[in-house]
Amino acid sequence: MKELKDKIEEHKRNFDRAIAQVKDENAIQKVRNLYLSRKRGYLRFLFEDLKTLKPEEKPEVGQMVNDFRNYVQDKLQSLKEEFTTPRPVLKKVDLTLPGKKRYWGSPHPILLFQQEIENIFLRMGFSIAEGPEIETDYYNFEALNFPPHHPARDDWDTLYITDDLLLRTHTSPVQIRVMEKKKPPIMIINPGKVYRKEDPDPTHLPMFYQVEGLVVDIGITLAHLKGTLEYFLKTLFHEKIKIRFRPSFFPFTEPSAEVDIGCTVCQGKSKECRVCGGSGWIEILGSGMVDPQVLKNVNIDPEKYSGFAFGLGVERTAMFAFQIPDMRYFYENDLRFIREFSLK
Amino acid sequence: MRISVNWIRDYIDVSLSIPRLIEELNSIGLLIEEWEEKGGDVILDLETYANRPDTLGHMGVARELAAKLGLPIKEQTWPLTELEEKTSDLVDIQIWDGDLCPRYSGIIVKGVQLGTSPDWLIKKIEAMGLKPINNVVDVSNYVLFATAQPIHIFDLAKIGGRKIIIRRAKKGEILRSLEGEDIHLSHEMLVIADDKKPIALAGIIGGEESAVSEYTRDVFIESAYFDPVSVRKTNKKAGIQTDASYRFERGADISFSPQAALMAASLLTQIGGEATKGIKDVYPKPKKSKTVVLRNHRVSELLGVDVDEDFIEKTLTDLGFQVELQQQGIWRIKIPFFRIDIEREADLIEEIARFYGFDRIPARIPPLKTLEPVLDQKRRRVNRLRQLLFHYGFDEVVNYSFFDPEKEAIFETSRKAVRIRNPISSRASLLKTTLIGGLLENIVWNRNRGAEGVHIFEAGKIYFSQDETCVEQLMLALVTSGFVGTTHWQTESEKADFFQLKGTCEDLMADLHYEPFSFQEENHPFFQQGYSLSLHFKGKAVGYLGLLKEDILDSYSLKDPVWAAELNLNELFERQPQSFLYSPVIKYPSMSRDVSFIADQDVVFQEIKEVVERLSIPYLEKFELYDRFSGPFIPKDKISLSFRFIFRHPKRTLLTEEVDNLQQKIINALKTSFNIQLREGEKIDK
Repeated sequence: MKELKDKIEEHKRNFDRAIAQVKDENAIQKVRNLYLSRKRGYLRFLFEDLKTLKPEEKPEVGQMVNDFRNYVQDKLQSLKEEFTTPRPVLKKVDLTLPGKKRYWGSPHPILLFQQEIENIFLRMGFSIAEGPEIETDYYNFEALNFPPHHPARDDWDTLYITDDLLLRTHTSPVQIRVMEKKKPPIMIINPGKVYRKEDPDPTHLPMFYQVEGLVVDIGITLAHLKGTLEYFLKTLFHEKIKIRFRPSFFPFTEPSAEVDIGCTVCQGKSKECRVCGGSGWIEILGSGMVDPQVLKNVNIDPEKYSGFAFGLGVERTAMFAFQIPDMRYFYENDLRFIREFSLK
Repeated sequence: MRISVNWIRDYIDVSLSIPRLIEELNSIGLLIEEWEEKGGDVILDLETYANRPDTLGHMGVARELAAKLGLPIKEQTWPLTELEEKTSDLVDIQIWDGDLCPRYSGIIVKGVQLGTSPDWLIKKIEAMGLKPINNVVDVSNYVLFATAQPIHIFDLAKIGGRKIIIRRAKKGEILRSLEGEDIHLSHEMLVIADDKKPIALAGIIGGEESAVSEYTRDVFIESAYFDPVSVRKTNKKAGIQTDASYRFERGADISFSPQAALMAASLLTQIGGEATKGIKDVYPKPKKSKTVVLRNHRVSELLGVDVDEDFIEKTLTDLGFQVELQQQGIWRIKIPFFRIDIEREADLIEEIARFYGFDRIPARIPPLKTLEPVLDQKRRRVNRLRQLLFHYGFDEVVNYSFFDPEKEAIFETSRKAVRIRNPISSRASLLKTTLIGGLLENIVWNRNRGAEGVHIFEAGKIYFSQDETCVEQLMLALVTSGFVGTTHWQTESEKADFFQLKGTCEDLMADLHYEPFSFQEENHPFFQQGYSLSLHFKGKAVGYLGLLKEDILDSYSLKDPVWAAELNLNELFERQPQSFLYSPVIKYPSMSRDVSFIADQDVVFQEIKEVVERLSIPYLEKFELYDRFSGPFIPKDKISLSFRFIFRHPKRTLLTEEVDNLQQKIINALKTSFNIQLREGEKIDK
C-alpha cells in the first residue's frame, strides 16, 4: 500500500516538473498523452494497480488516485487556456451594407440569340458552315435560280461593289459552296451577316444576321422539313406554340413554304395587336424543298437526291421573342440595352 | 395587290365570312396581310410573288379560289356593237422586232363619248385605290385589274399614217410620256411608233401626244405581249415603273392578248362607241403549250405523303391544266399560258401540295446518317475569347460593317477600303477597315447617356482589297475608357489605363495557349507616338495596342483618353497554339526571395527581365515585379523596384544556402548591368 502511495507522490512530482517546462500547446498534448492516455497513460496503470490492493485499503488509495487525476486534468486545462491566444472581440458590423459585386461583361443579344438557335440545330446533328460576305452574283443569285433581270431580285435589294461583286443578301451562297464541294448527305446551318439596301427603320436594317439551313440526301421530303422546323420552333419558343406552314415563293425552293407562329401576345384576338398586326400570326421562317435546278447547278442529281432549305432573320425572331419594338436597338449598342440580356 | 371581294364575286359565288376566306387564301399561298371594309366592299391586301403574274388580276385570284373551294367560274360574255369596217383596213400593224414583241392585237372603237364612267366602274376603280379619270382610262384600268393583261388606248387620229410599228427605238429619239416627262430613248428600248415617231414606250407608258383627250372621237386599243426582260431593262433604265410594266416584266398571258382587247372594246361600245370588225391579231409564230410529265411516285417522294390520284387530277384540271393519263401513275400535263411559273415536275408537285394542304403533310425528323466531327476551331476559340472578356468586364457590341470615308481617312489604316457602289448613305459607302471606329461611336453614344466608363469589344470582320480581290479578315478589337467595374463603398474606383488593357491582351493570348508571345514598342497610325505596342507570336505581328491619337479622338469628339487594341484573329488562328498537356504538380515546397533596389528612373523593365532570363537560373520557377514607386524617400531621378523570385526543385526541398547563392547570382548580374543599389527593409545600403 505504501508502495503505491509513494508511486503516486512520485508521479505528481514528475508531472509538476513536466508542466513547468511546457512551452506550447503541442507540449501540453504530449503531457496529456503521457498521463491520461486511455491505453498507456500513467493514470490508467495506477487504476490497474488499485485492483491488487486489499479491499479495506482501496477507499483511501482510490481517493488519492482520483485526486491525482483531477489535479492533472485541471492543471492541463488551465495551462491550455493560458497558451491559446484569446479570440479578438468581434466589432459590430452593419451587415445591411451592400455586398461587393463583380462587373461582368454581357454578350450582345443578337449573338446570344444566334447561339441559342445554333445549339438547337447542333443537337439535331447539323454542322455549321460559313462563307464570305462579299459574294459574286453567281453564288448569291444565279446558282440559286434567280435568272438575270428577273423581278424576283427586287425582293432582295442589293448593295453592289462592282457589276459582279456584291454584299450577300442571304447566307444561301454558303449552301452552294458546300454542295459544290461535298456530296450528300449534307446537314448544315449557315449563320452570318447579310446585307440589303434598306434604310434602317423599326423593321428593316441594312445589315442583319441570318441562320439558314440545308439538308440534302436520298429520300428527304417536305415532311422532314416540317418535322425539323416544328422541333426547332417548339424548342426555341414553347412546346405548345401554334405553327403554320403556308405556301410561298422563293426562286431556290419548290415547293416553298413560309412558317408562321401564332402570336403569343394577343393570341390572335386583337385586330390592333402591335406585334402581329392583327393577323394572329408572325412570319418566322422561309423554307422549301431545294429547287431541282439548284441541285443541277451543283451537279447533284435531283432524280436521286432531294433536300430542304430554310432561313430566318435573327433580329426579327429576337424582336418577337423578347418583345422589342424597334430593330435598330440592336445596333445602337446602348450598354443599358445590351446589359439587360446578361440577366437572362 | 388590292383585291376587292365584290369583284371576286363577279366570277365566283363565294359566301364565306372574311376571316374564313382569308384562311382559305392563305392556305394556298395567297397571303392576305391586311384587310379593310370600304363602302360595302372588303378590300384585301394580297402579297403577290414574282413568279405568279396570273394573280395580279381578279380573274386569276378567283380561279385559284374556285379550285380551292370547288366552285364553278361564272362565264362572262363581251358583246360588241360592230361596224362594217374591218379593223385591218383602218390600221396597219407591223412588228419589226418580233423577238421583243411576239404578239400584238388591236381593235378600233369609233365615236367614243369621253365622260364620267358608270357607277359600277367607278366603284371598281376606287376599290383599287385609284381616282376615276374618265370612262376610257377607267376601262383600260379595269381590264388590267380584272385580267392582269395591261392594255393601252391611243387616240386614233394621232397615229400618223395609221401605222402601228413595233420596233426598237432609234438613237436620239425622245418620247414625251403621259406624265409630261421626256424620255430619252436608246436602241435597246422597244417602242410603239407611227409612221414617223415613237408614240409609246412598249409595255411601260404611253406618249402624251397620242393620249386620249377630250377631243378624242376614235380610239385604238392595244393588247400585246412584250418580252419581260426587255420591259424590265427599259423600265430600270428609264426609271419608270407602272402597273403595266410591273405585269409585263413578270410575264403576261400570251394567249389572252386578243381577249383583253375585246373586253375593252366591248366596254367602250357599252358607253356609246362602235367597234371595227374583227380584232387585228399579229402573232406570226404562235407559241406551243408546254407539257410536263408528272409521276405519282415523285409526288410522294417529295412531299412525304401519298396523295390520292383522283385528287391530283381534279386539282390540276380545276387550275386550268390539261391532264392526260399516260399510264398508271404517270400523267402528261399541258400547261396553260397564264402559268408562266410551271415548267417542271417539281412545279406541279408544289401545286398539289398547295391544294392538298401543308397542314395535312406529316412532320417527321430526317434520319441521321452521318455525323460530322466539329472541326471548326475558329468558332470555339472566338467563343473562348468572348467568355474571358465577359469575365474581365468587357461588354460585347456589334456594329454595322459600313464605314464613313471621312473617318476612314483619319485612321490611315493603309488598307485599301472596299467601296459600295450604291450605298444607303454617303457616310456608309465603305466597308470598315478597322473595328475601332465603330467602338468609338459606341463610347460616344454611351458617354452621352451617362456611362462613366465604357469597356467594350467586338469580334468581327474587316474588309479590304488586296491584289484585285476582296479580303475579309476576322479581328478582335477592344477599347477601354473611364471608370472600370462597379462602385463599392469599400474600394476606390479604378480608371482604365494601358496596363489594364495590356493585361487583358496577355490573358487572351495565354488563355488560348498562344505562348510565348512578346510585345515590341512600335509606332502605329492609330496611336500616339511612344504609346503603342505591337504584339508578336511566332515571328508575326498579330495585333497592336495603345493610346488612340488625338485627331482620331477629336473626330469623334471624345475628350478622355481611350485605350484600344486590335488583334488579327485570322493570323493568330492560322498558327498552332502550344499544345496543352498535363504536367505533374510538384509537391516540394518553394522558396521565395524578395529583392528591392533603387534604379535609374528610365530603366526599362523589359531589359531587367531579359538580364534575369539570360542567366537561366536553375529552379527559378518565376519572378514578378510586385512594387514600383518613386517619391519622398527615394532620391530624385530614381525609382524603387521590388521583385519576388520563386525557386522550386522538382525532386527535393531546396536548401537555404543553394537559394542564397542563386539570389546572389541574380543580384550580381543586375548590379553589373544596371546602376542599382539594394534596399534592405527601409534602409538603403550605401
